[in-house]
Amino acid sequence: MRVYEVFLKRDGKEEFRHAGSLEAADDDLALLLARETYARRAEGDQLWLVDRAHVVEAEPGFTAPNTDKPHRHNSGALVAEHRKAARQAGS
Amino acid sequence: MTLSAAAGETLLAFADDEHLMGQQHTEWIGVAPFLEEDLAFSSIAQDELGHAASLYSLLGDPDALAYRPPVEYRSCHLVELPAPDWADALVRHWLYDLAEPRRWAALQGSSVVEVAALVARAEREETYHRRHAGALLTRMRDSSSADRIGAALDALLPFADALWEPVAGEADAVAEGVVTASSAELRTAWRSDVEAVVGPVAWDTFTSPDQQARSRRSDHFAALHARISEVIALDPTATW
Repeated sequence: MRVYEVFLKRDGKEEFRHAGSLEAADDDLALLLARETYARRAEGDQLWLVDRAHVVEAEPGFTAPNTDKPHRHNSGALVAEHRKAARQAGS
Repeated sequence: MTLSAAAGETLLAFADDEHLMGQQHTEWIGVAPFLEEDLAFSSIAQDELGHAASLYSLLGDPDALAYRPPVEYRSCHLVELPAPDWADALVRHWLYDLAEPRRWAALQGSSVVEVAALVARAEREETYHRRHAGALLTRMRDSSSADRIGAALDALLPFADALWEPVAGEADAVAEGVVTASSAELRTAWRSDVEAVVGPVAWDTFTSPDQQARSRRSDHFAALHARISEVIALDPTATW
């Protein structure tokens, strides 16, 4: 058996979202079973299945260092404040 | 809507088949071989019950028709049989749903416009049923379960072939254009569909069940009827 990750998308601008996963013997059976397991209540208009074996996965810790770099979380609020002050000073 | 007696009987026979097939499939809720199949098979059961409800609604009060006295049913014996083994349930699902596109197509150009209006939606659902049944059957015939599937086919093919036994007034219904093809014509097409998958079948050697133009119920019917009437017998005013 293979494991498939199931993605659904509604018509419109919404992106594909992960809905869950399921086990199936092959692609065709996976599609047939995913339809009723994840989309029987019209949760999506388009269906993607990805064989988990094809997922490129980063090792644990690979993405962690970014959490202690507050300078990468600049919201722009400070800059906006400075610009507003400058505008008011100029008027 | 006023329908001739022949039209009513012909449509009732289809409605009863859909109703009882749906009821039989629901018996696998919670006990199908694996979870995803449980959901898929239950959905298919609901679709068939929906088709039955749509057809009954054209003929009268759907609840009253669905639970009428046994002698008034016009079902084929295939849908009355118990299928306690999954191999039987799957093979019946496949044989029955291979017949569905032929039956719905014969209603496509029906002179009864309300019936023709049901076809597009039903066929969309049936396309999935057919693909589901075909995919599982093909793989099972290619697996260690091949013998069980073979035995189920041997047992059920005569009953499935007898699905095409028409009600008494069918010739009139064809003449009126209620159905655009006779059961005999549909049977020929269906037999080819079956043989395309399982190879040549010795149709002529079959002993057909004694259905008497769908007016006689099988020995299994009484128990099935009691089971499906349980709620309505308990509370005749029960609603869905």
